[in-house]
Amino acid sequence: MEVRLNRELIGFTRKGFRAGVVGVAAVAASTFAFGIAFGVLAGQQGLSLWATLLMSGIVYAGSAQIVALQVWSTPVPLVAVWVATLAINARYILMGAALRPWLGGLRRLPAYGSLFVLADANWALAMRERAAGRLDAAYLVGGGLVMYVSWMVASGFGHRLGQVIGAPRRLGLDFMLAAFCTTTAVTLWRGRRDVVPLAVAAITAIASEHVAPGHWHILAGGLAGSLAGAWRNAADPT
Amino acid sequence: MQLIPPDVAAAIVGMGLASYACRAGGFWAMGFVPLTPRVQAWLEAIPLAVLGAILAPEAARASPPEVAGFVAALLAMRWSGNDFVGAISGVAAVAAGRALLGRP
Repeated sequence: MEVRLNRELIGFTRKGFRAGVVGVAAVAASTFAFGIAFGVLAGQQGLSLWATLLMSGIVYAGSAQIVALQVWSTPVPLVAVWVATLAINARYILMGAALRPWLGGLRRLPAYGSLFVLADANWALAMRERAAGRLDAAYLVGGGLVMYVSWMVASGFGHRLGQVIGAPRRLGLDFMLAAFCTTTAVTLWRGRRDVVPLAVAAITAIASEHVAPGHWHILAGGLAGSLAGAWRNAADPT
Repeated sequence: MQLIPPDVAAAIVGMGLASYACRAGGFWAMGFVPLTPRVQAWLEAIPLAVLGAILAPEAARASPPEVAGFVAALLAMRWSGNDFVGAISGVAAVAAGRALLGRP
């Protein structure tokens, strides 16, 4: 059933904020575990505690931060890191678009402020709230702040923890980032329609790495693969 | 004393801008234009394509322990649906492979 939203019904109150805090708190536990993993990996890639906290504080995107670490080296390959961040966070463009009918009814500051803490879990739970007819938009920022705090604390804690356990190759810990990227790819996998885009991305990346060293293969492969996906899925939306 | 080297700071600030652009951009753009199905299909296809582009060259030059790691991470993730179980399985497979082949 399509619910027509009335501008007057959309609220942004302390009550909605609290509902978000409570509703998202359980998920924040997994944010915490993920944050510890990120902190450990950031330390292993040579990021200082301050750099780790700065990244978690202003980027606040777990998968993107882990994928960026995977291409991290000295000096930092800026374009590759930025492309990786944009790519992994591109899903937020769609999530934000889906929030337009709801947050669009708010003033600019609460709307664009809430979007800073937009993440998968608080978005999904907020959309469920809205589908249930509870239109207090402060739910999103309440849930987002709980996740933000656990992400920051866990990043710092993980960084310290990593200094203790170290990173011996013997334990295979150098493979951790590649393993996380693999599991992220498995999550994103939607079935047969992804075969051609993924193959195009992989072949383009391997080929362009031979032609132009550096990290350009990520941009080249990502563009070629995603355009193949756009062409394929617009033609055959299965 | 330098808390954060300039290239690291530039990388992080750029990542922050990119992230917020994604978070606010879709909301902002929907105030003007609807997403066409083709644009939406393109946006949806970007993350997997970029991950494929990152992992493919590494997979292409992987030695047997890393190949086992990729396979283990993939299978464990499919079975468990949990990133940690998947990643730890991949790491364990790499460690086991290196131990068996005597290449620490």
